[in-house]
Amino acid sequence: MSDSGLSSGDPVQSSDLFGPDPGSDPLAYYMTSEPAADIFLASNPEVASAWRSFAAGLADQCQCDFSSLQLYLDRHVEDLGMAFRHTGDEHERPWPLNPMPIVIGGEEWAAIEDGLVQRAELLEAVIADLYGAQRLIRDKHLPAAVVSGSANFARRVVGMKPAGGNFLHVCAIDLARGPNGEWRVLGDRVRLPIGIGYALENRLALGRATGGLLASIGTRRQAGFFEALRQGIAASCARAEPRMALLTPGRFNQSYPEQAHLARHLGISLVEGRDLTVREGKLFVRTIAGLKRIDALWRWIGSRDIDPLNFDSRSQIGVPNLVDAAAQGLVIANWPGSGVVESRAMSAFLPRLAEEILGEPLKLPNAATWWCGGEGERAYVLDNLDSLVVSSAFRRPVAGLPDGHTRLGSSLSSQEREELRDGMARRPMDYTAQEVVSLSTTPALADGRFEPRGFTVRAFLARDEAGNWKTLQGGFARVSQTGDLRTSLMGLGDISTDLCIVDPAAQQVAVPPPRLEAPQVRRDQGLLPSQAADNLFWLGRYGERAHQTVRIERTLLEQVAITGEGMGAVTAVTRLANLLRSLGAAPKESTRWQPSRLAGAALSDRKLSGSVRRISEHTAAIALLLRDRLTRDSWRAIQGTIPRYTPGDLESMSGACDRLVERFAALSRLMADGLSRGPAWSFLEMGTCLERASMILQAAGAMVPGSASAEDLSALLDLVDGQSLYRSRYVSMPYIAPVFDMVLLDPAQPRGFAFQIGQIEQHLGTLPSLRDDGLPEDPIRRARQLRARIEALDAEDLDSDTIGSLGLDLAGLSNAISRRYFLQDEGPVSQAKARLLG
Amino acid sequence: MIYNIRHATKVKYASPIAHALFNLRLIPWNWAGQTFRNFRLTITPQPSEREDHDGPYCVNTTRIAFRETLSEFDFLSEFEVEVDAPADPGDGPSVQLVRDDALEMLDISVLSPAPYLFASRIAQSDDEIRRWASGHFLPDIPIVKSARALMKAVHDEFTYKPGSTTSATSPSEAFGLRKGVCQDFAHVMIIALRSHGIPAAYASGYLRTNPPPGRPRLVGADAMHAWVNVWCGKDLGWVGFDPTNDCLARFDHIQIGMGRDYADVAPIDGTFVGTAPQQMKTAVDVIEGS
Repeated sequence: MSDSGLSSGDPVQSSDLFGPDPGSDPLAYYMTSEPAADIFLASNPEVASAWRSFAAGLADQCQCDFSSLQLYLDRHVEDLGMAFRHTGDEHERPWPLNPMPIVIGGEEWAAIEDGLVQRAELLEAVIADLYGAQRLIRDKHLPAAVVSGSANFARRVVGMKPAGGNFLHVCAIDLARGPNGEWRVLGDRVRLPIGIGYALENRLALGRATGGLLASIGTRRQAGFFEALRQGIAASCARAEPRMALLTPGRFNQSYPEQAHLARHLGISLVEGRDLTVREGKLFVRTIAGLKRIDALWRWIGSRDIDPLNFDSRSQIGVPNLVDAAAQGLVIANWPGSGVVESRAMSAFLPRLAEEILGEPLKLPNAATWWCGGEGERAYVLDNLDSLVVSSAFRRPVAGLPDGHTRLGSSLSSQEREELRDGMARRPMDYTAQEVVSLSTTPALADGRFEPRGFTVRAFLARDEAGNWKTLQGGFARVSQTGDLRTSLMGLGDISTDLCIVDPAAQQVAVPPPRLEAPQVRRDQGLLPSQAADNLFWLGRYGERAHQTVRIERTLLEQVAITGEGMGAVTAVTRLANLLRSLGAAPKESTRWQPSRLAGAALSDRKLSGSVRRISEHTAAIALLLRDRLTRDSWRAIQGTIPRYTPGDLESMSGACDRLVERFAALSRLMADGLSRGPAWSFLEMGTCLERASMILQAAGAMVPGSASAEDLSALLDLVDGQSLYRSRYVSMPYIAPVFDMVLLDPAQPRGFAFQIGQIEQHLGTLPSLRDDGLPEDPIRRARQLRARIEALDAEDLDSDTIGSLGLDLAGLSNAISRRYFLQDEGPVSQAKARLLG
Repeated sequence: MIYNIRHATKVKYASPIAHALFNLRLIPWNWAGQTFRNFRLTITPQPSEREDHDGPYCVNTTRIAFRETLSEFDFLSEFEVEVDAPADPGDGPSVQLVRDDALEMLDISVLSPAPYLFASRIAQSDDEIRRWASGHFLPDIPIVKSARALMKAVHDEFTYKPGSTTSATSPSEAFGLRKGVCQDFAHVMIIALRSHGIPAAYASGYLRTNPPPGRPRLVGADAMHAWVNVWCGKDLGWVGFDPTNDCLARFDHIQIGMGRDYADVAPIDGTFVGTAPQQMKTAVDVIEGS
């Protein structure tokens, strides 16, 4: 026996001696100065083991190199197209997601859910009163200024009742966990539940990056929530199979990617104001098949901008008369004006309103809030300034808080205090104060280690088919980047993380999987708004233009490799260079340039409107507008950059062109394969065919003026990938007539001109007609005429004039398609501005 | 006092506009002390749809739609009104009492003070205007005295100059210029009042064209006019102050609408596809009747 207490006979675990191995339990050494104020350290043993096994799974996956894990996750985030903007950002930013989720046990969550549902019901009741009887104001439960102070109070809809009876369908509630584990509400969001799509995407990205880890710790799934939301909105509609759309402010909005993702996930149309029109009190979307009725809108536009005739006449993103449609049964989630309950001033009254309206206290308390419009409250706030945070009651800039931001009372200088006192004396109703909410910490991965970080959670609720509130099983958590977030202030630079609700293994068996009613099998593809058709058409055109431009460059480089860099006589090289200049891919002053320099510019000079780089950027910009329709793979292919090459090195540049040709070919395949065969696909294909036809004509026109050399014709064959076919057909060097016949007139040559026209004609034939007399519409008539004309042409007689006039016919066809199917209301809606007053 | 009012407007566009939808706000609201008779609103060409509704503020809105394209249109509003001039308001309660009262009213209707306490779309808060006006709002001064002094300050320090501002000029810019027309003066005064916690509203209407014998012609009489309604406590309610003419709105002012600022009562706004009007001509006659 030794004094150490270890007998040689006992098997000794290294963990007994040195503590647990950080690889198998990375949270073993995680500690904070206030363990009770850390959600992991304070969790019960079952939930703590879920935290531990998730962390261990992460460690296992990355061999404890947590930094590599972050990079891996970032790639999944990027693949999903997750991005956001801060107001004023020109470009989207990558989405910051932390790999370590926040884990809450099912039992604790059930209590939170109760409070959330109660709160949503309270908000609904308050809104219903303010837009109805207004009893709360008359009976002195709510001061009038708390309502009129909100920029979201929409007097225009007072007295109107929402279709289906509910003002709210979706809401988001911000929560904080205090140092003793108590949860508090920080704020309510009913106008725009920003984050709901990010919560969905965070889960997807995390799920993809961590394999089965989420399931292994018993994480509840979220799928049922979005289906409930959809059915909840649908149930309010008068028609049995309602048509829904998500109304977006457009792609420059900070949460546009989120909106596109949600529309895609819910299978509803993503529309902008200009897609919509109100006729005789009904809302319609302009589609390629004419106007189609819309029964419900999930709006992501603030009330003020939603209808320029009824609210702000300056709005360029709303729909004139939308309110009139709402009065006649259009379902809007959430109802215009709902945002009146979002103000901080309103939060101050919710505890009292809960007692008054529901007859019970709030189950999830507010952070204690005082509205300074009351004399007693004002005095209290001024006396206790040091222990409170002061805010603008309605989020406007006010004296003492010039940027409208919340300030810690103790941080105010004496001059600022003076301004605040002075402001409160003049306009007390502009101010609220809140207790300082201390935040719990959570173990977050930072710099490759687990560090305690303050966090808040945004939870989401939606009404289901029966009108009952359902909670998203999870949510969106914001983790502060720095260690010391101890107030309710949230800063920029925060990162997001997933919120996992877990059922410990013992209880998982007891919970039956949710039984969802399977939807009816259907094959229709929803409607195609004219604007989306327009975007698809141009996505096809730009994609193909990039593709063809690279082909021309590659042919140029190959010709140079054969004949050398000299540009003396008129050769195939000069003609290809001219073609690139006429396409805007090379500058006018490039006539004396070395061909390799010219090819380099045509590839990557951002200043040239026809360079491959610029066209690719255009393609990506249009793809943004179609985010809800493109698959992940297409999205990734579109984001690709120009491959590296050594400028001036023919070999390396040809290699770059080869890779681009492959990528563009793959992209058009991916895009086409990602769309089911219907109108959307047809517009993408028509754009591709039209562009290809146009490029072939331009190439033919450029390469064969008068007498073409064998090199010219060979280059032309290269452009349409026709070398081998030509050789197998003619067993001779290229001659003009046979080449023209193959390139322009042979309807069986898939890269030839005639084939493209045939394809366009076929696609047009599948599209819906607006005529009820059975006669063909203009675009298809033009396509047929053009095809007949091509059929009648003889390759021997083709000259520049004929090629030019085919070009005009093609342009006419393109214009006819755009007139018939796309929105013609170009330019924004403007309003009368002149002055009428003296 | 009885007046006959005729207000004609012609709007012309350089190129035809489509999908035109307009709000006209010309029908007088039902004010106490003003009795309107024989109101006629004639729109040429005849709109495809026309619908009148009350609100959302103290204003009647006529919504019109033209299904055909349009290169010009006229609207003519004609009516007769009998004005019972409001009594002299006296000095009224103190500024502080008005502030407190405004927050205590259990009412959010269009005539209550609460809707007119806060910054609105055009009348955004402005620290310089607040500081400029602060001398007039000591807590113990009677409200009518205080508002009169502010009105006089606007009248004396600003130059009335049509064309010096446009409808796109913000009140803050007009304040910087110390120039403008009735609309600018009204907005500046509204911002000043609200920044000191006093409810203030934008009133639109007409002035009598010809002055009574021995008095000068009022400024702004040849178009629609704007002035400021100040809420002077529970008992007095709304009192009209005209900073353009430095007088209370009593015998010579015919009130059409009241809102938080110009945007709520604009005689015309709307949406259409096309470019903004080339020309907008308006003529107002307010003739004493019998």
